[in-house]
Amino acid sequence: MSVTITIPRLETERLILRAPGPQDFDVFAGFYASDRAKFVGGPLDREGSWRMLAMEIGHWHMAGFGRWIVTPKSGDNAGETAGLVGLFAPEGWPEPEIGWDLFDGHEGKGYATEAAIAARAYAYDVLCWPTAISLVKPANDGSARVCQRLGCTRDDDFDHPRHGTVQVWRHPAPDTLVNGGMEAYS
Amino acid sequence: MPVSIPVLETKRLILRGPAPEDYPNFKSTFTSYRARFMGGPLNDYETWMLYAAEIGHWHIRGYGMWMIHDRVTDKPLGMAGGWKPAKWPEPELAWIIWPETAGQGYALEATHAVRAHLYRQHGWETAVSYVDPKNLDSIRLAERLGAKKDGAARTIDGNDIVFRHPAPTALFGSQIEHGIEMEIANYADPLFKPKGMPID
Repeated sequence: MSVTITIPRLETERLILRAPGPQDFDVFAGFYASDRAKFVGGPLDREGSWRMLAMEIGHWHMAGFGRWIVTPKSGDNAGETAGLVGLFAPEGWPEPEIGWDLFDGHEGKGYATEAAIAARAYAYDVLCWPTAISLVKPANDGSARVCQRLGCTRDDDFDHPRHGTVQVWRHPAPDTLVNGGMEAYS
Repeated sequence: MPVSIPVLETKRLILRGPAPEDYPNFKSTFTSYRARFMGGPLNDYETWMLYAAEIGHWHIRGYGMWMIHDRVTDKPLGMAGGWKPAKWPEPELAWIIWPETAGQGYALEATHAVRAHLYRQHGWETAVSYVDPKNLDSIRLAERLGAKKDGAARTIDGNDIVFRHPAPTALFGSQIEHGIEMEIANYADPLFKPKGMPID
């Protein structure tokens, strides 16, 4: 009765979105140990990072969706573990979220936006989400800019017991996106 | 790394991978004082994240914690299995029984089965259990399983006692194994009424 879920693989112009796995741990732990993780529940020690990675994998089995590891298709960083982007809805979340973390050295290339568009198209077209939000901690200006690029607008803030006050950004509804964004992944 | 979690069966129990529908029982224990020896009580968010991590553990390590069910009614009774997050010095044999089902030997029966499985199918040559020194039920269960305090082994953080289980060669076919199976058979006997304080 335990359901085995296959985590889908998505492709965008420059990126592959694949299932997270043990091979991602060192990069993942490096990111979560760094100051850059302060907007996403970090910094965490290796133990905390390990449990976080296990949780990200288990999320797929609990919710039927989750976050993907983003890897560039070509170039100097081809195949590297560049980020974690996708759909996130643990218990206590205000609504299912589209979230993104880019690991060290992979910022500033538009990867978060490109991967989030694919994740949003998957949420709308495959999972039939009627709406989607993204949560951004105050002062995380980089993430707020990604929200703006994705066409999101601000909703009321949300208070989370662990993460404190976070901004809620609402994505454009499925019917306002051309073809539901279907062209964003293949 | 998709993994298929084997189903283990014992006299009274069926052990399967942790599934989303078994989460409510996990939550009621881990948000309660009952979880005080396992890093709890946790809030709803932390509890959900931990349960998801229990599932992810299987995919990272290839083993993990099984959900214990009554093989007749399918009721979830607790969890037992192998557990090794990043800072654990060695793979742990771990168990937890939901409060309303304690005292019937389920943890003994389940842990005995998963220990044999991890020894035989995963090649474990030893196993430890990290126990809070105040968790008397778990200390008693470790001892009933034939484990002994190992003062030389590394602890997780100095606040736990390490119990080392008999190695496969010292366990299989031994008097310890026979004694455990006798005890389980007693619990499975409908006429058996345990005396004294409840034990897991």
